[in-house]
Amino acid sequence: MSEHEHPTFNANKIMITLMVLTAIEVAWGSLVPYDWKFALWGGLLAFAMWKGILIFMYFMHMKFEGWICKALIAPTPILIAVVFFALLPDIALNDRLIHEVGDQLDPVDGTIVEIGYGSRAVNPAAHK
Amino acid sequence: MTDAIATYDSAVDAPRDHHPVYDYDSGPPVDRGKFAIWLFLATEIMFFTGLIGTYLVIRTGAPSWPNPEHRLAIGVTALNTFVLIVSSWTVVRGLQAIEKDDKGGLVKWLGLSILLGSTFVGIQAYEYLELIHAGALPNQDLFWTTFYTMTGFHGLHVIVGVIWLFCIWVGAVRGTYSAHNYLRVELAGLYWHFVDLVWVLLFTLVYLM
Repeated sequence: MSEHEHPTFNANKIMITLMVLTAIEVAWGSLVPYDWKFALWGGLLAFAMWKGILIFMYFMHMKFEGWICKALIAPTPILIAVVFFALLPDIALNDRLIHEVGDQLDPVDGTIVEIGYGSRAVNPAAHK
Repeated sequence: MTDAIATYDSAVDAPRDHHPVYDYDSGPPVDRGKFAIWLFLATEIMFFTGLIGTYLVIRTGAPSWPNPEHRLAIGVTALNTFVLIVSSWTVVRGLQAIEKDDKGGLVKWLGLSILLGSTFVGIQAYEYLELIHAGALPNQDLFWTTFYTMTGFHGLHVIVGVIWLFCIWVGAVRGTYSAHNYLRVELAGLYWHFVDLVWVLLFTLVYLM
């Protein structure tokens, strides 16, 4: 069946690199202020892409595959770009959503209530 | 042409069962199973691209978006991410073991992968229960809708992966695989790594950004 040997690579090294990158990523997400979108998103996406490429190239053996497997995957980045470009008009129209996400209309009195982490998702004032 | 006819030997060259006989492999220059799994993975990439694309549209279209740190348990999920990465590594070790005809090694590493995959599913189920208990339901707001949709579909993929790895593990226990017959191990491994790869992206997008 699968008689071709995969060129050996140091799986331990890749795994440790992935762990370290994840730790740095979590620290980056915690330390960089949430409002610094460019630094926060840019850094996080860079780390995620780095990790993804390591998994794709080494763990999934894409680095060692022949042209046919690469050709099978090659159209997907193009299709991904098509999807994102097709969605760009929606992304640009930022006034589609009126209420801030995290707010919700209280069904009892119609006021906007905040739903926070660990809360019971009710407006205490509306249920007095 | 005349030479070709002269060298024709019907006992050797005649089509058996009316099927043409070629002296070359007419299939793709790669294992058929591997061809199929990469084709399948390409469709899976597009599936998750659709989900992530929709998420980004909703997210960037919203006037504001809650800080995930205030809503989700980042520490627990980071631990879960480590678990999935280690499970990918154990699958690689299992494949490397069977490439050297180490059948015991394959059983050990695959067993560990199944254990780690099940742990991931268990922790995610615990997280869901905690969130639902706190009143965070998918219909609460768009944050929770996108959260449950993306992590839920990924969780289903993990469950399928665990079942698949378990089936391979049963075969490994029975001694089905060897250094010359391990394609099924490799295919299951490719799927599992893909699930890991998707999680790496989802963890960043949903939990950290």
